Amino acid sequence: MVRSPVRRSVPSMDTPDQASPNAATPAPAATAPVARPAARAVDAVKIYGRGDTSVRALDGISVEIPAGRFTAIMGPSGSGKSTLMHCLAGLDPLTSGQTWIGEVSLADLNDQQLTVLRRDRIGFVFQAFNLLPTLTARENITLPLALVGDDPDPDWFDTVVEVVGLADRLGHRPSELSGGQQQRVAVARALVSRPDVVFADEPTGNLDSRSGAEVLGFLRRAVDDFGQTVVMVTHDPIAAGYADEVLFLADGRLVDRLADPDAEKVLARWAQGEDPVGSAPGEGSTA
Amino acid sequence: MLRITLTSAWQHRRRLFGTVLAVVLGTAFLVGTLVLSDTLRGSFRSVFTDVNAGISVVIRGQGGGQVGDITAQRPLVDTAILDDLHGVDGIAAAEPEIEALAQVVGADGVSIGGQGPPTLGVNWIHDPGLAPYDLVEGRAPAAPGEVAIDTETAEAGALAVGETATVRTPAPIEVEIVGLLTPKGGASAGVTITAFTADEAQQLLLGRGDRATRILLAADGGTSDEELAVRVSELLPDGVEAVTGAVYTDEALDDLGRDFLDFFEAFLLVFAAIALLVATFSIYNTFSITVAQRLRESALLRALGASRRQVLASVLLEAVITGLVASVLGLVVGIGLASGLLGALGRFGLPVEGASLVVGVRAAAAAFAVGVGVTIVASLLPAYRASRVAPLAALRDVAVDRSDQSRIRLAIGLVLLAIGGVFVTLALVVDGGALERAAIGAVAVSVGVFLLGPVTARPMTAVVAGPVQRLRGVTGALARRNAVRNPRRTASTSSALMVGVGIVTLFTVVAGSINATIEDAVDGSFGGDLIVQSGGFSGAGLSPQIVDELRDLPEVDGVLGLGLGVGSIDGQQSVFSLVDPPALEGMLDLEVVEGSVYDLPGDGIAISQSHVEEDGLRLGDVIEIQLVDGTVLEQRVAAIFVSQAADAVGTRLVPIEAYAPHATQLGYISVMVALADGVSLEQGQTAVESVAANHGSPDVFDRGAFTERAVGDVDQLLAIVYVLLALAIVIALMGITNTLSLSVHERTREIGLLRALGQTRSQLRAMVRWESVIVALFGTATGLVLGTFLGWVFVRAIAADEGFGVFAAPVGQLALVVALGALVGVLAALRPARRAARLDVLTAIATE
Repeated sequence: MVRSPVRRSVPSMDTPDQASPNAATPAPAATAPVARPAARAVDAVKIYGRGDTSVRALDGISVEIPAGRFTAIMGPSGSGKSTLMHCLAGLDPLTSGQTWIGEVSLADLNDQQLTVLRRDRIGFVFQAFNLLPTLTARENITLPLALVGDDPDPDWFDTVVEVVGLADRLGHRPSELSGGQQQRVAVARALVSRPDVVFADEPTGNLDSRSGAEVLGFLRRAVDDFGQTVVMVTHDPIAAGYADEVLFLADGRLVDRLADPDAEKVLARWAQGEDPVGSAPGEGSTA
Repeated sequence: MLRITLTSAWQHRRRLFGTVLAVVLGTAFLVGTLVLSDTLRGSFRSVFTDVNAGISVVIRGQGGGQVGDITAQRPLVDTAILDDLHGVDGIAAAEPEIEALAQVVGADGVSIGGQGPPTLGVNWIHDPGLAPYDLVEGRAPAAPGEVAIDTETAEAGALAVGETATVRTPAPIEVEIVGLLTPKGGASAGVTITAFTADEAQQLLLGRGDRATRILLAADGGTSDEELAVRVSELLPDGVEAVTGAVYTDEALDDLGRDFLDFFEAFLLVFAAIALLVATFSIYNTFSITVAQRLRESALLRALGASRRQVLASVLLEAVITGLVASVLGLVVGIGLASGLLGALGRFGLPVEGASLVVGVRAAAAAFAVGVGVTIVASLLPAYRASRVAPLAALRDVAVDRSDQSRIRLAIGLVLLAIGGVFVTLALVVDGGALERAAIGAVAVSVGVFLLGPVTARPMTAVVAGPVQRLRGVTGALARRNAVRNPRRTASTSSALMVGVGIVTLFTVVAGSINATIEDAVDGSFGGDLIVQSGGFSGAGLSPQIVDELRDLPEVDGVLGLGLGVGSIDGQQSVFSLVDPPALEGMLDLEVVEGSVYDLPGDGIAISQSHVEEDGLRLGDVIEIQLVDGTVLEQRVAAIFVSQAADAVGTRLVPIEAYAPHATQLGYISVMVALADGVSLEQGQTAVESVAANHGSPDVFDRGAFTERAVGDVDQLLAIVYVLLALAIVIALMGITNTLSLSVHERTREIGLLRALGQTRSQLRAMVRWESVIVALFGTATGLVLGTFLGWVFVRAIAADEGFGVFAAPVGQLALVVALGALVGVLAALRPARRAARLDVLTAIATE
């Protein structure tokens, strides 16, 4: 599969250095060794329930999330994409197999250590209900740092706020912000603590296309400008088009990967969704 | 609709649990009190009926009555009547009964009993049917100097048959114990009995050999009590009456009811009412929240065609069911409580052994009326609100609990506060009726403060939470925000605690002020250097002999005995102080306005300025005092002094020499001693105590110890009040727990988010805990301010009416109340915090 000359099929931010982040980083094949994966899962199995009613949400999946890249996870409902994210982010323990954030194996951590890991090394952007209604935008952004008792690095805070365009909204409560603004606050919060990985769970699911594009643009910029690692779960091909690579999941397994995606390619791959189930993971992503 | 309601109530049973518990505790207290007092009434009735079973007719003097706490004695009857009765048909037995005070001194030299129940000195009644006791050991007293005493007194004093002992009548006399008796019915109720021979009892206790307290008759088989009473009445002189045994028993029960049971019951009911009031606030709050959380459900019902009335009825029905369940449980728990307390009361000698619990209609009706009533009243407003929900709210994603503040509520609150302020000001400024005005003002201010709760919640919580936020960083900040996010909920949650703390504070401040007043007024009730007081108020008093003995001590310079006389003045039973006027000099510093107190003649009387003002009396006027023996004392006003209400001498001073000839038993309440120059307090105390040792070892206090004891009495009562108020605080605590649980439930997703973002479990628990503490401290602070203010108003109002009273807020105790409030917050948060920490992060953040 050849990389499309049209990198973005959706409106993108006209930031100067957006020219070609992918050109700067030669698109690696998914099978190519990654210098240091930001997160990975090996033989991850997650079973919900017991006996007849049990559901195998993850079925021995192994993935590596490369650092400094924007990875999208796609799949139909029940494919295990959210479960994979939850397990990678230390929100949900595996039934068997292992997950790592950097070099830390999550299986070895207790609740307290997992909590601290989430707080210090992971950023989250959820689909909805991202913000505490009682806190102002500024307080929401600095919440993960405040939970440790740290003050944010003022320069970095200003940079992040500047990027997401919230400078004049910091004193507002979530109820005084639009849905798009709320998600931008969430993105700023995910970035402000400079986490190892930002996990975004359908971050644009509740937004109109314009606001959604803005939020995706910020995530893209976070990767390009700041070298942030971003993992995004989505079922929106357009959203997936912002990523450096798309992982396709079905029935708890990795069924395909697509490097340098755009919406059309994603849609095309999506269309043969059922088809490549049998095909070995990685095959589809060869350049 | 009924089925929907029932199903809904059943599904929300966990939420209703807190409500049920609050009502159960409140009604249990109420039922417990009623069952206990009904049971005590019943067992006293059976005991009295047993004791008096053999008495057909009682012959006694007419008159007597109640003066404050003192029951004035009826005139004595002439025992010559017994001779007239010889010829009367139908009398099987006739005996005089002599009843006065006599206090046994134990082997250790200390008087026994006298702390409340009377210490009776009686004559031995030979007829076993007429005697209120049975002989259980030894024999009946047959000669002067012989007595039979009750077994409990013997045990308490380590005395046995054959031993000698001292009995104070109040003069100490040596007696030989020849027999032991037990009261019929078994339980003494703390009453001690010393039985002398009839002759000796007359001489010692009544001062003359031809009188008795009453005469008891037993009818023979063929004559009814009523017939005999009529027959006997015809023979009686004026001023003497005959009543049947049944009437006599009923009167005794009425007296007991008035003196003890009614008071006991009313005292406990006050606290049951307080607990129920707090419970009402707590239930109101729970219903408000559950209704708010179900607003969409109600709206859906409305959209599907349910009428407003049906929605209203559905919430009220839920309240009724809750109230019914709680009432049944409250009744059961209350009966259990009563039976437990009954056992405890048995240890104080009350006749409860083997008594079966009397669960009257009154108790059961009260349980249901109050349990269901309180729940309905508390749920009316929330139910009304639920019925007002627009059907469309079901379709919209409504913000369920509107926290906007009602303007009407604000207006009413301010108006009430203003009205309260006016009444309080009037109470303190205008003469007369201060207490009534203060009471109206207090109610208005309290309700006003409650109504303004939502308005004051935000600023007050900010003040309370300031330090928390500084101390606990983001956790404190989150706690504070959560506490103020719904001011109305915060206000009504904390109002239960506000009421509880307010009442605790009120009692604390009033008690503190009473103590301060006591300390302030000690000059009026303590003269000289030392004071001798017999331990209790129902003992035999202090013998006049002790005054002479003390006066003979070289260490002593002056002695003043202070007695109490009873008589009818202007047709009203009155008490007056008895003194030896010259002894007053240098002892009590009376502010004499006219005439002279110290050389008050035998036919003189000194009165306070208040009688001059109220009764229009002047120097030289004659006051007639009718004594129980029929004598009328004519005392001329020879001095007018200014009395402080706490003064030991009261408002009337009569020379003891005028009263003594007519007193059956003359005793002093207290004896003040002035030490000679150069005698140290320690030396003086030792000397005085050596004399007191011969008089049943009454307490000898110096000024400090005297004040301390008076203050100690108040503190002891306050401690009991605190115990009784604890229930109200517990109910308030449960109210906070309940609200917090519901809030945590409501904020499941927020909590999930916080946990995902890295809030540790302990931070989460701390957040819930601090929110609870902030809410609790808000309630505590409001209660503290309100209680202190009301305490101040009442003390000042009493001061305005009575002319005395010092306001004092005991800072240390109030600080403890604040600490208690914070503790309530911590305890209330235990369960909700644990529950919040256990929430599964994933379910909390999972997108729908």
